[in-house]
Amino acid sequence: MINFQYARAVSVSEAVRLMAGTPGAKFIAGGTNLVDLMKMDVERPTALIDVSRLPLDTVEETPGGGLHIGALVRNSDLAYHPLVERRYPVLSSALLAGASQQLRNMASIGGNLLQRTRCAYFYDVATPCNKREAGSGCSALGGLNRMNAILGTSDNCIAVHPSDMCVALAALEAKVHVTGTRGERVIAFADFHRLPEAEPQRDNNLAADELVTGIELPQRGFETHYSYLKIRDRSSYAFALVSVAVCLELGGGRIREARLALGGVAHKPWRDAGAEAALSGQSANEATFMRAAALVLSKAKGFGHNTFKIDLARRAVVRALSQAAGGTPQSQSNKKIA
Amino acid sequence: MSAIGQPISRTDGSLKVTGRARYTGDIRVSGAVHAALVQSTIASGRIASIDTSAAEEAGVLGVFSYRNLPRMNPTPKPWSHLHPHGQGYLPLQDDKIHYAGQPIAMVVASKLDQAVQAATLIKVHYEVAQPVVFDADTTRAAIDPPQFLWPVASSVGDADKGIAAAAVKIAETYATPDRHHNQMEPHATTAMWDADGSLTLYDTTQHLYGARELIAMVLGIPVDKITIMCEFLGGGFGGKAYVWPHTLLAILAAKAVRRPVRLQLTRAQMYSMVGHQAATIQTIALGADNGGKLTGIRHESISPAPVFDNYIEYAALSSRSLWAASGGIATNHKIVHVNRNTPTAMRSPHEALGHFALESAMDELAYATGIDPIELRLVNDTATDPHSGRPFSTRAMRKCLIEGAARFGWESRSPTPRSMREGRHLISEGTAAEIYTHWRWPAKARVTINGDGSALVETGSHDLGTGTYTVMRQVAADTLGVAPEKVTVRLGDTRLPPSHASIGSATMANAGASVLLAAESARDKAIRLALTGRDAPFTRGQGADIRVAEGTLTLAHSNVSISYGDLLARNGLPNLVAEADYDPVPEHEGPKAIFSFSAVFAEVRVDPELGIVRLNRFVGAYDAGRIINPKTARSQAIGGIIWGVGQVLLEQSETDPTLGRFLNRNYSGYLVPTNADIPELDILFVGDFDEEASPLGAKGLGELTAVSVAPAIANAVFHATGKRIRRLPISLEKLM
Ligand SMILES: Cc1cc2nc3c(=O)[nH]c(=O)nc-3n(C[C@H](O)[C@H](O)[C@H](O)COP(=O)(O)OP(=O)(O)OC[C@H]3O[C@@H](n4cnc5c(N)ncnc54)[C@H](O)[C@@H]3O)c2cc1C
Ligand code: SF4
Repeated sequence: MINFQYARAVSVSEAVRLMAGTPGAKFIAGGTNLVDLMKMDVERPTALIDVSRLPLDTVEETPGGGLHIGALVRNSDLAYHPLVERRYPVLSSALLAGASQQLRNMASIGGNLLQRTRCAYFYDVATPCNKREAGSGCSALGGLNRMNAILGTSDNCIAVHPSDMCVALAALEAKVHVTGTRGERVIAFADFHRLPEAEPQRDNNLAADELVTGIELPQRGFETHYSYLKIRDRSSYAFALVSVAVCLELGGGRIREARLALGGVAHKPWRDAGAEAALSGQSANEATFMRAAALVLSKAKGFGHNTFKIDLARRAVVRALSQAAGGTPQSQSNKKIA
Repeated sequence: MSAIGQPISRTDGSLKVTGRARYTGDIRVSGAVHAALVQSTIASGRIASIDTSAAEEAGVLGVFSYRNLPRMNPTPKPWSHLHPHGQGYLPLQDDKIHYAGQPIAMVVASKLDQAVQAATLIKVHYEVAQPVVFDADTTRAAIDPPQFLWPVASSVGDADKGIAAAAVKIAETYATPDRHHNQMEPHATTAMWDADGSLTLYDTTQHLYGARELIAMVLGIPVDKITIMCEFLGGGFGGKAYVWPHTLLAILAAKAVRRPVRLQLTRAQMYSMVGHQAATIQTIALGADNGGKLTGIRHESISPAPVFDNYIEYAALSSRSLWAASGGIATNHKIVHVNRNTPTAMRSPHEALGHFALESAMDELAYATGIDPIELRLVNDTATDPHSGRPFSTRAMRKCLIEGAARFGWESRSPTPRSMREGRHLISEGTAAEIYTHWRWPAKARVTINGDGSALVETGSHDLGTGTYTVMRQVAADTLGVAPEKVTVRLGDTRLPPSHASIGSATMANAGASVLLAAESARDKAIRLALTGRDAPFTRGQGADIRVAEGTLTLAHSNVSISYGDLLARNGLPNLVAEADYDPVPEHEGPKAIFSFSAVFAEVRVDPELGIVRLNRFVGAYDAGRIINPKTARSQAIGGIIWGVGQVLLEQSETDPTLGRFLNRNYSGYLVPTNADIPELDILFVGDFDEEASPLGAKGLGELTAVSVAPAIANAVFHATGKRIRRLPISLEKLM
């Protein structure tokens, strides 16, 4: 760990101003990801701008019937928020599938959005890694890549975005509110995170001086037919090998609308418009689910250790769809996957 | 009421849960400064240049590399438990790089963050060589190592002939991965020198006296000038039994900067600064007749060792003694020299790896012969150790199998794979049996009876979190005839009577025996005083009829009695002190073969589409001789079973094939079971008093419980899926 300056911001504008004026600075919220990375010398910020006391910690209903969630709401507070539990249960479920209770108590929504990949090479400064050091190479390509991506990869990086919450937010089509020196803007969730392409060092499309101030959920929450299914090596407290967020609207035995997002498979939460279209209008049965699952994975590519994830993801999609369609979402307290 | 046999809670429980128990790294020493390490980023080669100038200018107290660290004496040969080095290659002595994460420089500064920051300023250039890793290619170059703990090879009868002539044969290869101990408490040393050249260490050690000897030899310090203390250990599992480079570095740094130096490893450093469990590739051949009776066993294992040491995982050891085989039993071990740090014992070394192979193969034999797995083991049970020809002191294998199976409800199992279902899931049951090495080691103890009727037990043993403070109190209380609360136990200091390493599950039986003997001796001194001392209440000849209970000596069939306190007061004595020197014949030299045994039973649930395996329930039946404290024993069993669940389903230290470094160096990348992975665990102790094992009747328990879990669960997975997984861990892709 290297030495750094520390400043606590009391307002959003001050936070943004400090950031713009301090080259190499980083925001810190719960610190559950950033501090680990600093200890490993992966992140070497010159200064930390502490945003954890900013007044961005409320959940409010929007005039449009949705919710606005402050960037500093704790992961656990959001998961157990009555409005989220009732109206957006897939989000509550995804949050509870992530990390541990202690971490969720510290972790902020903004930090969760911006958490960095868990690729083992990214964490080990003695190894080449394009995301950590542009142009140094990607060790995972020919190395140990069991946890790495199968969709949307590039020759430069095959890392995955590790968040559970973001998979649900992708399915719910949330919006990200940000403020920078040039003012506020709203970014559609699908446009927030990036694919690695030629610049894996960039996880998302946030500008260097921009602060995430909140997340906006649209009115529709899919509270009847949903599931968040996370497949991991142990029952709890492990990152996803593959996860699936499903939101369905059913009517007359048919799927009226389907939202499907995958975690653990790509550099961003993975949506597939083609697969979702293939579900809508169809009857909710195994054959339909299998067709959609095959479509999602049709362009998937394995790198050896992680090739099994293609099959696993296909099966997980089918299982999550049947859980959602049956109104029997995956429980995050009873870890048994039915 | 006897204290031995009671489920007494840990005497140090409240200290621990309130944070008052002092763990090595937490002990504040006034004036102590901090050391931070720089580790090699390559796995093989040499240091071409090292530039420490920026670090030196950062206001630190000292910067060390091979260029200025004093030279050490070579580690003593042959390796011995009495002066045990973890690693034969010593730190910062030359410019060579033999493994990734090798310490190459050390910074000492007043504050930890200063030291850590300055360490990042050291610039190293390497001459890089291609590292050799343990894989299918390099195992072809395996060599026969020199003997380390036991003979490397063994042969009784003619195993190959027995197998060749057999009606049923099994020949398979099994593999276990590298694993790390991952104790919760990181290794730490605080070293302090006095003006007179004496050295005091707070050190995370399971072996105070071995550490003292080794440090004395390697650093050229008189043994009697060294004091080592370790009051509590936050988990050892073998990984803190020997002396690792950081301890030596802290001592030399403290000498150079003339200040106490604290050096605590980071979690990531615990993957290369200290030992790990080496991977194995094991081949097993079994021959049996149609009734399942074994006619031959051949078990061979290959494991990696560093280029500078010959560490052996004795994975084939257990096959020497577990089952009888009419034709013969042959075992052998080979090693491959690769670029890595030295492996070491990890709960449960040798046995937990070997049993995965042997007891999986036995299950394969059960299916090949159509004989129930329990029946197959009963058929091959033996009262004589096939290896040494000696009778077993006690061997409750039958009881383990039969009582365990009854508790588990084994008879309702349908033997056909994939035949038991629950919704989408396959439910299945598996079993495995086990034999575990018992050690007999010398140990000393001192017991003091005080004037107020309290007692003090002193012995240089260790509490690894296992409950040593508690069980020693029970042993002394019963022997002295005082209430357990009256007994204080002191451990963890080389100024106490020397004891053995707390490894090999040996502490209860051996250190415990020394406490028993010292307490007996103290009690007998009191009895003699009551017979012959001033105003003696009893008369000569009555000695055999004197009983002690509740702190009072009483003549049988009379109301003549005297308390310890009154007896001492009457004789004008402040206390009575007795020492004992337990010096048993080593286990391999005695008339009987001494081992612990178990049979365990696992029910698992498999999701056949997703490949997910979860443990549903577990029964373990153990023969560990007499159980001194069923509560601490049960805790050991629970910990051991969970340890085994980690081994079979999750744990794996992954090495990058080209960079030759362990990659997943933290709890987030190296998975162990969580609460959600562990169901109710049902523990039975079926053993009896074993007088050969120890005067206490106890045999080794802690490691025993971690051994047979992996094959039992792997066998259950076969029962569920029809897939035999011979390479651990059983991760879901292997079952999809
Ligand atoms: C052992 C472990 C297991 C975990 N398991 C899971 C899991 O299973 N699933 C899962 O989803 N997550 C998991 N996590 C990750 C966890 O969710 C994140 O660490 C957490 O959400 C980060 O939030 P934070 O507030 O602590 O962020 P910080 O660590 O404070 O910051 C993280 C990053 O976000 C930036 N940042 C923070 N707030 C803002 C903001 N408002 N605007 C702009 N930038 C900002 C910081 O600069 C930093 O780069 C795990 C973490 C650990 C340590
Ligand atoms: S996958 Fe990405 S993060 Fe991982 S090593 Fe390659 S470049 Fe680095």
